[in-house]
Amino acid sequence: MLLPPKVTLTLLTLAALLSAPDFIPVIKDYHVIDWTSFAKVVDFQPRIKSQNPIEEEQQRLKPDTSVEKAEVRPLIDPANALEPFFASLYSTERKDPGAVTRILHYGDSPTTADLITADVRFLFQKDFGDAGHGFALVGKPWAWYGHRGLEIKSSGWKIEPANTAELKDGFYGLGAVSFRGSAGAQSRIILKDATHSSVEVSFLSQVEGGSFRLLADGNELGTVDTASPVVTPSFQSFNLPFGVRELQISNVFGRVRLYGLRFSKSVPGVEYNSLGVNGAYISILARMVDEQHWADQLQHHRPNLVIINYGTNESVYTQFVDTAFERELLRTIARVRKAVPQAAILIMSPMDRGQKGSDGEITTVPALARLVAIEQRVAAEKGCAFFNTFEAMGGPGTMGRWYHAEPRLVGADFIHPMPGGAKIVGNLLYKSLQQGYRAHKLRIAKEKFATIKGLSSTQAN
Amino acid sequence: MLLSSSTYFLFLSALFFLYWPLSRWRAAGLAALLFANYFFYAKWDLFYLFLIPLCSTCDFAIGLGLGRFQRPAVRKLLVSLSLLLNLGMLAAFKYMPFILENFTRLSGRPAPLWQWTFPLGISFYAFQSLTYTIDLYRKDAKPTQSLLAHLTATSFFPTILAGPITRVPDLIKQFEKPNKSLDAADGSRALFLIGLGLLKKLLLADYLAENLVNRVFDFPGLYSSAEVLTGVYAYALQLYFDFSGYTDVAIGSALLLGIKLPQNFNMPYAATNINDFWRRWHISLSNWLRDYLFFSLPGKRNAVMPYCNIIITMALGGLWHGASWNFVIWGLLHGVAQAVARGWQSWRGQKATPFTPAWFRTFCTVQFVCFAWIFFRSTNLEQAGKIIDQLGELTYSLDNVSRPLWIVLAIAIAGHYLPKSWFEQIRETFVRSPFVVQAAALMALIVAIQYIAATGAAPFIYTNF
Repeated sequence: MLLPPKVTLTLLTLAALLSAPDFIPVIKDYHVIDWTSFAKVVDFQPRIKSQNPIEEEQQRLKPDTSVEKAEVRPLIDPANALEPFFASLYSTERKDPGAVTRILHYGDSPTTADLITADVRFLFQKDFGDAGHGFALVGKPWAWYGHRGLEIKSSGWKIEPANTAELKDGFYGLGAVSFRGSAGAQSRIILKDATHSSVEVSFLSQVEGGSFRLLADGNELGTVDTASPVVTPSFQSFNLPFGVRELQISNVFGRVRLYGLRFSKSVPGVEYNSLGVNGAYISILARMVDEQHWADQLQHHRPNLVIINYGTNESVYTQFVDTAFERELLRTIARVRKAVPQAAILIMSPMDRGQKGSDGEITTVPALARLVAIEQRVAAEKGCAFFNTFEAMGGPGTMGRWYHAEPRLVGADFIHPMPGGAKIVGNLLYKSLQQGYRAHKLRIAKEKFATIKGLSSTQAN
Repeated sequence: MLLSSSTYFLFLSALFFLYWPLSRWRAAGLAALLFANYFFYAKWDLFYLFLIPLCSTCDFAIGLGLGRFQRPAVRKLLVSLSLLLNLGMLAAFKYMPFILENFTRLSGRPAPLWQWTFPLGISFYAFQSLTYTIDLYRKDAKPTQSLLAHLTATSFFPTILAGPITRVPDLIKQFEKPNKSLDAADGSRALFLIGLGLLKKLLLADYLAENLVNRVFDFPGLYSSAEVLTGVYAYALQLYFDFSGYTDVAIGSALLLGIKLPQNFNMPYAATNINDFWRRWHISLSNWLRDYLFFSLPGKRNAVMPYCNIIITMALGGLWHGASWNFVIWGLLHGVAQAVARGWQSWRGQKATPFTPAWFRTFCTVQFVCFAWIFFRSTNLEQAGKIIDQLGELTYSLDNVSRPLWIVLAIAIAGHYLPKSWFEQIRETFVRSPFVVQAAALMALIVAIQYIAATGAAPFIYTNF
């Protein structure tokens, strides 16, 4: 047999059909085969020889995501908007009594899982002191919710995150999630760090409010009656005996509405609050939460810095990006500024967000760059600092590179970073803030030097 | 060179046009195939050009020895040498990192770095190669005198990445057959199988992987219990369509060269018990494990040992899939389930009427198989634990499962449970069609893959094993 006739004819016809777009101008745009790629048939890839096998293998198994290796991308802050924050940080660094620097980081799903924020918290507290874990929700609205250093288990709560808009009153607390409970609802929080000195429960005082009880390692710390003639956000603080690892909060009577627990230490340091909502978008802060209620929460927490870190979820809604995002961002900034005028505001752009194209290549979603540009412009106009996460992590196509990294730095949705990827972003943010802080200290030193010089010359005269 | 890539099909077409004119001369045809086999290996790594011929030649020499020597001690020594060679190669080039990692974990001392990992195809090569020497040792086959036929059979490229694991003596018999030919019906069936394999892999398996499975397994906490469960079911379908798609392309490619390979799947998720499942899933591996491992284990006449042997066989079968405890647990789960099922059947008698209807038994079997897939798919035990935890949360939202995804899932389920007679009818309609219609159908498939799949091909899952 020279060639099996029917198969040969089928294959030749198929080849002719495949090459038709090359010869028929009308269908020239309908190529399905790139004939030049067939050169790859004889393209042999030799085994890559390692130059330094030990180092390369260690790098592969544990990529260096340390803060030292992060390439600094300076914060964009021409108006020195972060000065009040840096001043507070300076006081904290000097260990001035009661000098706690508080940061509120509002974000979407990575923040919900305390990715990025946990790394930044760790770095701040390592360098400036640990003033406590800060705020955590009383339960897990999503299985994905979690804070590094805390284990949270809860049952019996009716959980309402702000983005579901189920509550007409908009009273969602600092963390934008409300927990309504009746008798039997309870939460258990296990602390990895047993050196916290106090815990503060935030809740809603309301007409016919019930009561809740707080236990620490099985011992009652107190019972709180939430009944009040007026509906108002309330906070009840408890001292924690040294070494407490487990807290239990339970609804003992009637209906209560809780928001979260805030863990503090009575030492100077940084309190970095991770406030994430799954699927969050900027309108949550701009309009879904009640303005006065949220302002009360912010005023109570007295932040030195508020980080607004949204955009990933919005980036696939092109029309929203082009018509509404700017308005919503402006509204959010206005709300924060009105509530806590003394706090600095940092707009943190979203990370890259990938999508897979018809050629299998993972590219950045088209509207993301526009969204980042809007954030940068609004930040400049409104005197806020801006951190371009998207560019800092590598710009367009980063998620594609991260997906193919070994080990992977982003999940298969090309949105959520793996812990290694989150650590890189956390380090980038921290290093940029640190650089800004060093510049601030240098400015202060120069001013002091100039003052001293001025005084000496006056004395000399 | 993936079996779903355009370069592979150019390679296969070129071989087709080279091989058939040369096949008039047996040696020339075999030489063309051997060249193609080694060309295929070299595309993965040039080191294979040293490793595979060396091991195959050793097995060939051992085979000659087994044909010549009749003294049991010598024969045992020879087959042991072959086992040592093939399993040693498997240990050295695939399992060494796993062995060293566990050494470090147990001893607390850092293990030396191992640079010689060539996992691709080694497992399939080793198992396939051992069929030759073990069959000769058991006198189930006769040794070939042709080194060329032996080298070609042991490295036959369609089977080497992910099976089907074919007995080398069977392949040699086909290679040594004079006056080979390919009739129009078999040729058309080959093209049909290749097309079907691509459809399964690129339009179904990859879609499910990209749009649900990978996401759910990466971050189970982002999804509700119902979505995670859907993801686990989707993985069961993905794995089936991925692997059976690969097998179809492999069987079709071999058939295009006049070689018939064994079937590997027979509607596995229609199995009514776990033993039935293993008669339908990865049939060539099940047969290999049964014939070459299970039957070799001691204690056949003991009351308890056969059950332990099932568990041992499946645990080793799990480890064969990958150097990780996940695969061991997956194998153990299947081993224990098979032992229990076998015990139950023995106790009740083979012909006893089951208590429950067939659909219910199929349902339960599929649930168990899907549960075990969690360990198979997870990259480590922690991830498997997270998936199981999330299933236990009992949350019901299905917001993350889009309508197109439901449609693809429905097509995948319907495709899996398509009655055999319907499938054969479709295939034979293609076979009887004129060549122009066949070419047009294949062209339509390529266009569909280009414009519908639109994701770029992922590697076949089983090429990792």
